[in-house]
Amino acid sequence: MSSDYKKTHVHDKKDNVAVALEDLKPGDRVKVENKEIEIRQDIPFGHKVAISDIEEGGEVIKYGEVIGVAKQTIKAGEHVHVHNLRSLKYS
Amino acid sequence: MENPEILAYRREDGSVGVRNHVALIAVDHAGAVVVDGVAKLLRGVESVPHQYGRLQFGEDLELTFETLIGVGCNPNVAAAVVVGIEPNWTTKVAEEIEKRSKKPAKAVWVIGQGTVSAIEEAAKKARKLVSWATELRRESCKLSDLVIGVKCGASDTTSGIAANPVIGRVGEWIVDSGGTFIFGETTELAGGEHIVASRFESDEEREKFLKVYTDYVEFAKSKGADILGSQPTQENIAGGLTTIEEKALGNIQKVPNRPIKGVLKPAEKPKDRGVWFMDTSSSAQEQVTLLAAAGAAIHLFSTGKGNTVGNQIVPVVKITGNPITARQMEDNIDVDVSGITMGEISLDEGAMKVYEFMEKVANGKLTAAEILRHDNFTITKLYPSM
Repeated sequence: MSSDYKKTHVHDKKDNVAVALEDLKPGDRVKVENKEIEIRQDIPFGHKVAISDIEEGGEVIKYGEVIGVAKQTIKAGEHVHVHNLRSLKYS
Repeated sequence: MENPEILAYRREDGSVGVRNHVALIAVDHAGAVVVDGVAKLLRGVESVPHQYGRLQFGEDLELTFETLIGVGCNPNVAAAVVVGIEPNWTTKVAEEIEKRSKKPAKAVWVIGQGTVSAIEEAAKKARKLVSWATELRRESCKLSDLVIGVKCGASDTTSGIAANPVIGRVGEWIVDSGGTFIFGETTELAGGEHIVASRFESDEEREKFLKVYTDYVEFAKSKGADILGSQPTQENIAGGLTTIEEKALGNIQKVPNRPIKGVLKPAEKPKDRGVWFMDTSSSAQEQVTLLAAAGAAIHLFSTGKGNTVGNQIVPVVKITGNPITARQMEDNIDVDVSGITMGEISLDEGAMKVYEFMEKVANGKLTAAEILRHDNFTITKLYPSM
């Protein structure tokens, strides 16, 4: 049942992060592009969740554009924010 | 998209306004006290006070003059009374308003008569102008006759999902029907400046844009600040924005995906219809004021966490895509497009809500910021006075 899935928003097909549209908790499930992802951490409304695994140094894509690189390996379902994502314009 | 008929004020210089204020414009701190005094006595006036205008020089002084003159020429203004401490600058501002916009502008100064007498003189002049201005009638115009300004403030990730893309779409409708659209915020384009640059019609204007951008980054560095490091703000980070690139990409969703005509100096009027970039600060009250001075009749403002900015001359339409802000700050929000964020309505449906609200504002409906008197007119200072 789709109502089991929590709401997220993906801006562009190329994106590897989605925006949480409600507070997400470990064990919650989200569905993007027919792919089911289990949430691994608490992710507040408006924050980003990885929708595929991202290697350390890998590009983080939102709006189909690079918004920075992963400071460490990020697994699908993990919170993506200042602790594991850094800007390429400023560091 | 349909380009609706609106009932608005067609001014003698050809511009179209949605309000009919008699503006009481302060040239300096002495004038500020007088215009606020007059506003307490009369109906039909809008007081435009500020505390600058003394011992400024060069570009900084010119920008203050252009801002005051521009606000007097704004199509939402029917007539102006300009009040300053002394006759020279006060007369200069009033005469320029008359010359450029062909609307009545009277000068009053404080030296030689004192504050109380200046209030009386300005009130007598303003009373006559209100009596004259209230005979002017709204007439049939098109929504596309208006100059529309935009800005976002207190942004979060919902700004990039809903409120900014909605403004971008509305901007496309406006520009496609022959309207004029101004955006600014030089510093907040950082990280997305290459996308904005790619949309300029001519290489010459593109180079000008990139120079304005690079010059500001260098200027900030010379002051020991790295603008790339000051963004996103703590408020943005709490809202889920992580990097400056991410913030900029969200910000530019509100720029219509249409060719950009050119670069305007702060407070400069667009030379033609279409999309224009103005070199402005990203401080909301400064940016809204500079666009008001350039002739914006309505300002579309998107907010995530809830910036409350307004302007006494220009109606600011507050749009949010954040359902929590829409609920918590209901008093300040004009259009709630959080349905887009929650996947309940389409982008076009959200854009239509804003478009229809704009049409009502153009016909006279007051915005939340107008009703709540968020009168945030602010001069942009370029450097210290002498």
